Amino acid sequence: MKRILVACGNGIATSTVVAMKIKEKCEDNGIDVSVTQCKLLEVESKADQFDLLVTTGKFTGGDVTIPVVGAISLLTGVGEESTLDEILSHLK
Amino acid sequence: MQIFFNVFQTILDAGAIVLLPIIITVIGLIFKVKIAKAFRSGLTIGIGFAGINLVIGLLKSNLGPAAQAMVENFGIKLDILDVGWGAIAAVTWSSPIIGILIFCILATNIIMLVLKATDTLDVDIWNYHHMAIVGIMVYFVTKSIPLGIAATVIMAIITFKLSDWTAPLVEEYFGIPGVSLPTMSALSSIIIAAPLNWLLDKIPGINKIDFKIKDAKKYLGFFGEPMMMGLILGGIIGALAKYPVSQILSLGVNMAAVMILIPKMTSLFMEGLMPISEAAKKFTQEKFKGRKFLIGLDAAVVVGNPDVITTALIVIPLTIFMAALLPGNRVLPFADLAVVTFRVALVVAITRGNLFKNVIMGLVCTGAILLAGTATAPVLTALATSVGLDIAADGSLISSFAATSLTVSYLVFKAFTSNLIISIPILLVVIAGTWVVMSKLSKKRAEILAVREQ
Repeated sequence: MKRILVACGNGIATSTVVAMKIKEKCEDNGIDVSVTQCKLLEVESKADQFDLLVTTGKFTGGDVTIPVVGAISLLTGVGEESTLDEILSHLK
Repeated sequence: MQIFFNVFQTILDAGAIVLLPIIITVIGLIFKVKIAKAFRSGLTIGIGFAGINLVIGLLKSNLGPAAQAMVENFGIKLDILDVGWGAIAAVTWSSPIIGILIFCILATNIIMLVLKATDTLDVDIWNYHHMAIVGIMVYFVTKSIPLGIAATVIMAIITFKLSDWTAPLVEEYFGIPGVSLPTMSALSSIIIAAPLNWLLDKIPGINKIDFKIKDAKKYLGFFGEPMMMGLILGGIIGALAKYPVSQILSLGVNMAAVMILIPKMTSLFMEGLMPISEAAKKFTQEKFKGRKFLIGLDAAVVVGNPDVITTALIVIPLTIFMAALLPGNRVLPFADLAVVTFRVALVVAITRGNLFKNVIMGLVCTGAILLAGTATAPVLTALATSVGLDIAADGSLISSFAATSLTVSYLVFKAFTSNLIISIPILLVVIAGTWVVMSKLSKKRAEILAVREQ
């Protein structure tokens, strides 16, 4: 099972939207994932326990060794599919 | 008719926990969400409310007595508990008039878009609660639904205009084009930050100061981790309450629990609202096909900026000190220390990351929040109790860094609950005046950009 960390400003609002969309997409593609939400401030202390970091908005704040995907398109709806495909490509 | 009335009364008597699923299901149906999905949304939100109630109970029963003891021991009169914006959002969504207000906000947005009075398409239904709470509090005080609606519509107009005007900052400083941030918890600071930034730039000497802190995260990072902050603050407050060591430790762990559990409960609200929010997005985007918009997003998308984080990490501990020293303040900052990043995000953007100005202006913003929070705590507490949030049994007060603690929201609330004949015209003149000035500035900016491009 792949572990995904979804981070946004307060770990509540936009990360819930993104997390739910990722879960749906992964279910549709038969990929088993566990998605955890957190605040951007917590990313550095948590990232090493995950396979992929997805952030809403720009994340330029720190050193993480795992792949990072910016997912603002999942909020605006513009370019949503290509972002979801990018996320999937990191999970295969 | 009698039966209808009885059913209605029974539901009202049952309180928010029953009212919420019903309201949300109805709103969902109106947006053409399927009934099973709409009902599941409603129930999820009802569960969120129950969860928030539990956690607030834990917060109150632990922190309340300790705060009282702290007042007695040291005269630090911080007896209004900051229960956080999540609890306030829960209160907002439980209001009997929330349904009307949501549609009024959406209608205001659509009408302004049609009239080209705004470019912001705001379908971030979740953050409508910042605009709705002002109307709900006005309704609670005045018992007038029209006044409540008017207050919310004014909040909506201010929100969309401030979003339009700050969109260039979002594009230039945060590098996110085509987006604006109709999140009042972030926008509100700009009405303090914009004039203050101008003023600080005019003062010789001050306007040259800037400093960098490279390792803010290394040394202050724990202020960014809610569980650590809860533990440490709980411990400090326990010590100031002169508790025995065992109780100090237990207060610390309980407060760490509150800091982690409040967001978890609040995210149930978000989860429940998402299908409705998505349906509203589809609905409005189809309506305005081909028009270029700024898409309104939660300000969460910009608070990951390193300068915002550094500023918040410095402002958070200073805000706690300031709370104890600021004359007139009674709010004990706690749950909303976790979202100070939102309150300083646009401050950072307008100074282009000048850390000296950020900290000064950030503190002015949080100071204003504390004072407005103190002033409106009695109304907020009475409102929260009336919808069934289990808090005011012992007569103590609650507040937050959201609702009418925000400077803009406070001013609108004041205007609608003072002498209306005087205060409403003043409010309208200020809004209209700002609008005219800002339109001129935007035009000038557009001209400069056009020249630069040639």
